[in-house]
Amino acid sequence: MISADLNIILPEIVLAVFAMLALIGAVYTGKDKLAPVLVWASAAVMLLMAIWIGTTGGQDQTAFWGMFTDDAFARFAKVAILLSAAVVLLMSEGYMSRHGLLRFEYPVLVLLSVVGMMVMVSAGDLMTLYMGLELQSLALYVVASLRRDSERSTEAGLKYFVLGALSSGLLLYGASLVYGFAGTTLFSGVIAAATEGHMSLGLLIGLVLMISGLAFKVSAVPFHMWTPDVYEGSPTPVTAFFATAPKVAAMGLFARLLFDAFGGAIADWSQVVALLSLLSMFLGAIAAIGQRNIKRLMAYSSITHMGFALMGLAAGTAFGVQAMLVYMAIYVTMNVGTFAFILSLSREGQPVTDIGALGMYSKREPGKALAMLVLLFSLAGVPPLVGFFGKLYVLQAAYGGGLAWLAVAGVIASVISAYYYLRIVFFMYFGEEREEALDTGGSPVLWGCLMVSAFLMVAGVVNLFGVEGAAAAAAATLVN
Amino acid sequence: MVSGSGLLAVMVMLPFIGALVPGLMIRAGRDACAMFTAVPTLLALIFLGILAPEIMAGGTVTAKIEWLPALGLNANFFLDGLGLLFAGMILGMGLLITLYARFYLSGEDPMGQFYTYLLLFQGAMLGISVSDNILLLLVFWELTSLSSFLLIGYWKHLPEGRQGARMALTVTGAGGLAMIAGMLILGNIVGSYDLSVILQHGDEIRASEYYLPALILILLGAFTKSAQFPFHFWLPHAMAAPTPVSAYLHSATMVKAGVFLMARMWPVLAGTDEWFYIVSTVGLITMVIGALIALFKDDLKALLAFSTVSHLGLLTMLLGLGTKLAAVVAVFHIINHLTFKAALFMSAGIVDHETHTRDIKRLGGLASLMPATALIAVVAALSMAGIPPLNGFMSKEMMLEEVAHTDWWGGKWPIIILATVGALFSVAYSFRFIGHTFFGPVRDDYPHHPHDPPTGMLLAPGFLAVLVVAIGLAPSLIAGPIVAAASTAVIGGGELPYYSLKLWHGVNPALFMSIAAVLGGAVLLWLHRPLDKAWIRTPRPEAKAMFDRVVAGTVLGTRWLIEGTHNGAISRYLSIFVVATVLLGFAAFQGGGLPEQTREMLPVPPLVGVGFVLTMLATLATVFAHRNRFRTLILVSVVGLMVSAGFVYLSAPDLAMTQISVDTVTVMLMLLALHFLPKYTPLESPLSMRIRDGVIAVIAGAAVAALAYSFLLTDMSPISDYHLANSYKGGGGTNVVNVILVDFRGYDTYGEIVVLGIAGLTLYALMEALLNGPASRRLRNWTFPPDRSRDRHPLMMVVATRVMMPIAALVGVYIFLRGHNMPGGGFVAGLVISIALLMQYMASGFAWTQERKRFEYHAMIGWGVIIAGLTGAGAWLAGAPFLTSAFGYFTIPPFEEFELATAMLFDLGVFLTVLGAVMLMLYSLSRMARYAGETVNLEPMDYDPSRRVDAAIEADKKDDA
Repeated sequence: MISADLNIILPEIVLAVFAMLALIGAVYTGKDKLAPVLVWASAAVMLLMAIWIGTTGGQDQTAFWGMFTDDAFARFAKVAILLSAAVVLLMSEGYMSRHGLLRFEYPVLVLLSVVGMMVMVSAGDLMTLYMGLELQSLALYVVASLRRDSERSTEAGLKYFVLGALSSGLLLYGASLVYGFAGTTLFSGVIAAATEGHMSLGLLIGLVLMISGLAFKVSAVPFHMWTPDVYEGSPTPVTAFFATAPKVAAMGLFARLLFDAFGGAIADWSQVVALLSLLSMFLGAIAAIGQRNIKRLMAYSSITHMGFALMGLAAGTAFGVQAMLVYMAIYVTMNVGTFAFILSLSREGQPVTDIGALGMYSKREPGKALAMLVLLFSLAGVPPLVGFFGKLYVLQAAYGGGLAWLAVAGVIASVISAYYYLRIVFFMYFGEEREEALDTGGSPVLWGCLMVSAFLMVAGVVNLFGVEGAAAAAAATLVN
Repeated sequence: MVSGSGLLAVMVMLPFIGALVPGLMIRAGRDACAMFTAVPTLLALIFLGILAPEIMAGGTVTAKIEWLPALGLNANFFLDGLGLLFAGMILGMGLLITLYARFYLSGEDPMGQFYTYLLLFQGAMLGISVSDNILLLLVFWELTSLSSFLLIGYWKHLPEGRQGARMALTVTGAGGLAMIAGMLILGNIVGSYDLSVILQHGDEIRASEYYLPALILILLGAFTKSAQFPFHFWLPHAMAAPTPVSAYLHSATMVKAGVFLMARMWPVLAGTDEWFYIVSTVGLITMVIGALIALFKDDLKALLAFSTVSHLGLLTMLLGLGTKLAAVVAVFHIINHLTFKAALFMSAGIVDHETHTRDIKRLGGLASLMPATALIAVVAALSMAGIPPLNGFMSKEMMLEEVAHTDWWGGKWPIIILATVGALFSVAYSFRFIGHTFFGPVRDDYPHHPHDPPTGMLLAPGFLAVLVVAIGLAPSLIAGPIVAAASTAVIGGGELPYYSLKLWHGVNPALFMSIAAVLGGAVLLWLHRPLDKAWIRTPRPEAKAMFDRVVAGTVLGTRWLIEGTHNGAISRYLSIFVVATVLLGFAAFQGGGLPEQTREMLPVPPLVGVGFVLTMLATLATVFAHRNRFRTLILVSVVGLMVSAGFVYLSAPDLAMTQISVDTVTVMLMLLALHFLPKYTPLESPLSMRIRDGVIAVIAGAAVAALAYSFLLTDMSPISDYHLANSYKGGGGTNVVNVILVDFRGYDTYGEIVVLGIAGLTLYALMEALLNGPASRRLRNWTFPPDRSRDRHPLMMVVATRVMMPIAALVGVYIFLRGHNMPGGGFVAGLVISIALLMQYMASGFAWTQERKRFEYHAMIGWGVIIAGLTGAGAWLAGAPFLTSAFGYFTIPPFEEFELATAMLFDLGVFLTVLGAVMLMLYSLSRMARYAGETVNLEPMDYDPSRRVDAAIEADKKDDA
């Protein structure tokens, strides 16, 4: 029994053990000198795990009496998490070592948070949910303040921690209410208690509190306030990490909770999620207009994107979940490329985040500018790039789920948000040329990530690389 | 025989495939590059020609390719009359532009890049014209925005191009995105995204409640693309692009995409009042305003740009009228406009190319210097003015005739007058274009001496000029069939209304309007100089400036809004967080209603009431006194005490015991820690903010209280029953809490003691780092308050704690031993003994106590964890899972029979860890104190009476001696 259970969580065990061994090993040997090796090794292990999870595992199974679920949905999310985390980790190596931030704890913390994320998306029980969430969050709090000598970075970490603690508290409070009224912490038990129209007040409020806790994690408005500060304050590679894997995990967990535990009472949460989605889309779109700092801009951009992903959830249908998954997969790919670009921006070795500095970038780096143009158009959801299909998916889902108003609002929000993406394009192609030019060249890893990501945005239009099929299968296991 | 659908699909793909060619061929030279660019276009044109007869005969060709069926997005194409007309225009013009650009672009321009973008654009346009899926149409639609952006931005060195490109992209891109929503609605009304299906469901769409939003959203897309009022301003500014681009995008193809869309959707959207008033009004306004502005533009291309805006307005108005005849006229005018306007753009480009200026005020008299160009331009401009026998005349006559029979906003006259005025302006600027550029005296101050360009450059505009004349002379022969085919498609099949394409329609209202327009136009031109001065003087809204202001204002506004709300203050973030949660909770409360109350409220005896009030008072006082930290600590301990009392009252003595001992230890440690922190919290927020926070806190607190209250009044099955039933059976203990801790949840407890141990060690390590860091200097310079007591280790306290010590230790052991069945246990025992030891430290000082310490705290923690772990692992020996407990009864004389459980051993581990961790924390704190200059005493108390006794004895002895 226990060996079968352990077998199911083997990927998590492998990663966790690797992380712990790496930590102990590095402490007693080379410490920070080992960091580059650790980065590559961690990325390699995560890639291997992604391939392993992606290629194996046929039927759905649960471990530990249903507390841990291994199904197509979890596998989809895990592959996305592992791949994006591995790529972002690789991207960060150059930047971190250039700025003296490459400590050996960094890859270990990333690994641990990834383990947390994997537990999150597999959660079949309120306990597992909380455990995964905290494992992920605690690692992230530390990573956010990795640059200890920078006030901004420590402030970011502290803010994230304080607000995160509050959100965890809310989540826990909600979870205890759910437990109190459902009599069990297992999702399979909760779903029996939480049926349409017969939700007791305690369950309902418990659900709402848990939603607000999770909304914090996906940075949905009005629980988003930490996002811009943390994105801006953290070292850029950490920001890149924040913008990718944790978002997938939080979205996955969100979906799991809503469908696995409260799938019988869709009408009760659909409106709340729709409201979060609406607010996120608009606030993100409007707030980004005035931003001059590209990292802050990406923070608001991620808020908007989360709004769109939530739109898929709000639909409350299998197609909606599929749309959300497709959207997240596309979103992560785009963000990896965009952050590869941001990471490569520097002037005399110092990182640059001011949008104005991109003036006439296309003249010096036509290839990178073109790739970034593709990514930005894709982020804006302009056809025919892949980003458009993601938007189309969630819009269709919302419309199909009876949320026509939300779909129309979403389109309006995307029109507004198109402005600031195009503004960057404008700077790159027509902006004022600055006296101090940005450095050219740069790390081949970043260049490769940028180009591959941009290429995927173009080539993906053929069939989205089959992501939709996998997403459909994943959604089918979650919604039934 | 290749099937028609195959041909169609290949035709659409050709420009995209061809887009790769110029980049490869540019090394082979400019001529080869241009030629190879022409090949895919020519091939596509040939394919179109092969398909044409079938379309002309009234058929359609379709091609269906599955793409993303889940989304309703399929690569379906269909070609009907309208598609044929546009595809032909796009490809034909593409060919002419390729030819023209070959001569127009100079040697330094990257021609390969230009042709690549051109073909991309051409492919996108072609895609729009033959898409049978509205989502696919959207894809191509935005692709034109994208490729046109690249084309406009092609000449990067021109600063004026920047603004234009940005504005064009912002306006058309946004419009296109808005259209997505419209298309989605449309598709959902019908249930299919296939255009051919949608076109069958006109009535259903018009009757739908979503008709108006869909209409507005789609029209937004069309109006922005076709530069209709109030979005007309982007087009002239986009004209900074090279002339071939302007001629292709901004006169012939891209801007007509909006018109195309309106024509395409005409069968399903037109025919309602909404359509009529929105579309015809916008069109008419655009037509008049565009023509008026064009009259006063000095830049040749700007003049043509505004004239294009005006003509697009005319087309829009015609489609807006909603009658079949108007639609036919619109189709006819699309063809005519294409021919004369493209020819004019190319001529303007030639003039620019030859004289190096486009400023009409610096030109004139070019007719004799460049006669061929002049001839082409004059023919085309006269057609634009609507002078017979050219094609422009005919479509304008038909338009005026149509207008003369329309009721618009309550009468015939408003539209007649406006249309005539528009035509009048149009005549005036056309005449001005010819008159001020080609006629008049020859000047000697051209920036560059002009002459006719090479023949190659004249070929394309010449060909178009010939068309202008030919269509004018033999309209039904040349344009008749295609007009018929396209019009049939626009009106959605069925009979075409009666019309005839000929120059002379007899004396009718249109003729008078035409004559009035021509005469008026001539007069205007004659008066142009004074009018121009007046125009320059009159203040008028400048759309571009307004656009810029709106954008700048929006940016400033959002910045103000966002920087105001996202100002980085965590207190604000927290308050928003809490308010949002409370609101969500309130919404849920509204939705769920109150649960049925199944339990009675328990009676509240006076004593309990007092405790309750005390708790509340202490909490309240904490809020008000929180700036004095010592006082706060005391108040908080009152709360802790009351909570333990509550546990006692509610029959949970074990919880009470744990609570009170934990509380005591915490308060003591915090007291010690506070020693090194500021004694007062500074006041950081204004009163208003504190009041706001207070209100929020009270509301949130009330919500939580209400929730708890309602929860407590409902029956539910708690899990405690299970534990009550099983704690003796399974764990051999009657103290459920302890059994839970050491048995049922042994894993948990094991984890907890590990965490506690880690916390102690971390504190130690952190202190180590702190004392070696910059903080140590601050500590060394620590000044103690002057009023501190000189008797830090008072006699009474030393004596009391010393007496208490064995008693406390005994109590600890007692609690430990009884723990399994009665309130107590290793955890509480550890805390009790810690407190006893803590007291020693407090009484006699750290150094004195430390000397009497026998065990290392680190080791204590370690042993605790190891013992607990080994106990758990011991279960494996018995073949049971980790931490399974066993118990048995033993009799060792002279004791009575007693129980021993393995859990007790585990409890010992817990005990050791707790004790070690607490003491290690104390050790860390006192290390800090010594750094800060705390004196070390080796005596138990500062004032030792025994010494005094000794001294007295000594003195006595001395006295004796």
